[in-house]
Order: sequence, then C-alpha cells, then structure tokens
Amino acid sequence: MRAVGRWLGERWITIGSPLTVLVLWEWASATGLLRAVFFPRPSTIAGHLRDLAMDGTLWGHAATTLVRIGWSFSLAAILGVAIGLAMGLWRRLREGLDPVFAVIYPIPSVLFLPLVSFLVPPGEIALVVTTAVTSFFLIAFTTTHGVRQIDRLVVEAARHYGARGWRLFAAVLLPGALPFIFTGLRLGLGFALIVVVAVEIVSASRGLGALLWLSWQVLKVEDMYATFFVIALLGALLSYGLAALRARLLPWVPDAGDR
Amino acid sequence: MALDRISLQAHAGEFLCIVGPSGSGKSTLLRVLAGLHRQSAGDVHIQADRPGTPLTAMVFQEHALLPWRTVRDNVTFGLENRGVGRAEREARAREMLAMVGLARFAQHYPHQLSGGMKQRVGIARALANDPEVLLMDEPLAALDAQTRTIMQEELLRIWATLGKTVVYVTHSLEEALLLGDRVVLLTARPGRVSQIYPVDLGRPRALEVRASPAYGALLEKIWSRLREEVVRAMEADRGVDPEAIGG
Repeated sequence: MRAVGRWLGERWITIGSPLTVLVLWEWASATGLLRAVFFPRPSTIAGHLRDLAMDGTLWGHAATTLVRIGWSFSLAAILGVAIGLAMGLWRRLREGLDPVFAVIYPIPSVLFLPLVSFLVPPGEIALVVTTAVTSFFLIAFTTTHGVRQIDRLVVEAARHYGARGWRLFAAVLLPGALPFIFTGLRLGLGFALIVVVAVEIVSASRGLGALLWLSWQVLKVEDMYATFFVIALLGALLSYGLAALRARLLPWVPDAGDR
Repeated sequence: MALDRISLQAHAGEFLCIVGPSGSGKSTLLRVLAGLHRQSAGDVHIQADRPGTPLTAMVFQEHALLPWRTVRDNVTFGLENRGVGRAEREARAREMLAMVGLARFAQHYPHQLSGGMKQRVGIARALANDPEVLLMDEPLAALDAQTRTIMQEELLRIWATLGKTVVYVTHSLEEALLLGDRVVLLTARPGRVSQIYPVDLGRPRALEVRASPAYGALLEKIWSRLREEVVRAMEADRGVDPEAIGG
C-alpha cells in the first residue's frame, strides 16, 4: 500500500495530465461547448471501444497492423544496422552513400508506395517495404553516428591491449555503438507505426489505419476516436518495451531518465 | 617535430619520471615507447626477460576504460586478447583488483566509479598484463588534489611490491620527486633531454619527504631550469600566435 502511495506520489503529474484532459473534454462535450458530432464524450468513445473489442473487429485489424510492423521493422532493423555499421567503419562507403541517403530520406514515405509497387509485388509486400523505408534510414543514420562517436582514446587503448580485427569490432566498436543503435531502433519502430497507419489509410482495407479511415468516411466518429486511442496506446507500448529492453541489455549505460 | 634526439635509458626496476613544459613531447615520447606512435627515426629497445608477456602496458590520463565492460572484464581485456584461459584471467584480475583496493567492485561498471577508482582500474588493467615496462601518462592529472595525494602513496606501495620498471610522465615536479628514482627534464619544443637528475631522497619514500631540506633544494634546482623552459615555450607560442598567450 505504501509502495503504491509512493508510486502515485512520484507519478501524479504523468497520470494526472491525461486524466485532466479527458475530464475537461467530457465536460465540454456534455455541455455542448464542443460539438458532440465531432467531439463525442470520452465515455461514449470508451463504450464504442468496448464494442469494437467485444465483436473482434478491433483485434483483427490490430493483429494485421502488428504483423505488418513486425515485418517492416525487422527488415529496416537488419538492413539499417548492417549498412549503418558498414558506413561507420568505412569512410569511402559513407562518402558514397551519404548524399544518396540525404536526397531520399526527406521524401514522405507514403510516396514510395507506387514506386515500390513497380519493384516488388503490389499489395502486402509493397506495403511492408514502403513502411520500412523511413525506419531504415533512421536506423542506418543513428548506427553510423554510433560508430563514429566512439571515444578514439578508448579504441586506442583497446588496440594497445591487443584488440585487432574481428575482436576490435565485436568487443569495442559494436558495443560502443549499441546505445545509439538502440535509439535508432526506438525511433525506427515509432516511425514504422506512423507510416504503416498512413499507408493503410491510402491503400489497405484491413489494419488500424484502414479502420480509422473507414470510420471517418462513414462518420462513425466514435469508432474513429477509439481506433485513434488504440494506435496511440500501441505506439507508447512499443516504445516503452524497447526502452525496457535497452535497460536490460545495456546495463553500462547510465540511466539518463530516458524511459 | 615533437621530439629531437632523445637518448634515454631506464634501468630494470627503476621509476623514471619525465617532466617538461607543455608541448615538450612528454606524451609523444610515451606513445612512441608504447608503440602507439611511429617515430620518424630512432629505435626503442626493451629487454624482454619473459616471452609471452607484452613489452609495455600504458595507463592513460583519461583512464580510457571500456564503458561496456565491468571492472573485472576491463582488467582481463589484454589477457583475453592474448588467449589466456578464463581461470587464469580471473585469478589475475582478483589479484590485481585486491592490489589496487577494488576487490569489492569487480562487477561494477566504470560509470559507477569515481575518477580515482577508474584510474585504479586503469592501473590494475596495465599490471594484469605483467609488462616489462609500465608506462604512465599523467595518470593522476585529472584527479582532485586529495585523491591525487592518496593515489601517489598507493603508487609507491604498488611499485615497491611489484618492482616494475616505470616510465612516468607528469607535469608536476613535486610528484616526480616524490615518486621517481630519476627525473628527466625535457626542453620546450622540440623536446630534447635537457638534464637528468638523480633523486637521492631514499626509499621507501612517503609524503613526509616533502618536508626534508634535500627535497626542497632539489625541487628548487630543477624548477629554476624547468622555469626557463616553460618561459621559452610560452615565448615560442607568442611568436606563432600573439593572441594565444599563456595557453
């Protein structure tokens, strides 16, 4: 009981601020200050969320989106870390790829969908590849930087104590880059969710993005908000999950309050 | 050119201190000895009595520990790279960590240690490799004054226990007189050997030596010479760039 009390004592702002917003929203919609057609009361939305969960609609769409994120993120992570490491280690490769990446990276990911559809089978695969593009760049950038920022003195000391070749990579360069790789993975996972929803809105009939867009088009505003909420929750869970994984796997990184 | 015609010989088991003004190439000399820096001319000879152990092991000024390795795994790093077996590595780490007073911190990570403790790990790491010559590049320069004093006593104790040959670079003349058997004074850029002073202050030596008249006389004698070199170095800097005085 005291532990719960202390936990509440430390986190009351974190818990209280979204609650305050919800209470204000509820009040504004109930009194007509907000038009309930566009801003239904949160309690009404919660009811719709429950219905969507009960009849299975929500789980089907959520599962579809999660599977897509899983494939996209895996693709982006494997290629991003591998190419990022290579760019960090070899200057020539970095100089060659940097300008190409700089040009492609800022293009909104959804615009790649038609292009990707020419290159790979359209449909599910094109969707997964498109979603992976932005995440790949983020992960590759941070990984490259992770290798580059390793303290030269530490590398020199490691060489002085006999680390060469593969051993230098595995015992020094890779662990030295890992905190940045994790940051890249966390950003990449977040963007995978953002982009997959966007791509689902423009091109899919299933998935949370599709559900959200469909709800809006038939003016089932409560369902739209319910989906909104689920997407937000999913993003928070994925991000916190990776942060927790990082804390477990990288015990040497001082806790900078980064949760 | 950082160094010019350096000719130096350290005896086995000697504690040799190198002092000189900033930019006299003290650190460069040490890096040449460590094989971290290739000299443009000249040779380094180190007599190796025991095959299989490295010739030199360096204690770096900024400790340069691997942040992702525990204290123990930092100490065993060199042994690991040479393929020494696990049991022997861990026994050696235990021994060296006990020697520097960090036995209880074997499983800590560097970021959990204070500056003085990190430098102790750096010393244990170097000693674990059992080098012919221990090289130390201003190892206490980054520590606060009190920690530095404690560490100087520790160094004297460890050196007395192990009897290693040590080449020790410092900018502190007081430290050189407290620790060294001989003090080598380098000139301002390019670094040449200006003078070599034997430190006849007896052994074992402790902090109290600083109160003795012989210490004061020797300090005065070396300082008057070092002072000239420091002033010369500052004037040379001024010649290059009038803005950068006293840097």
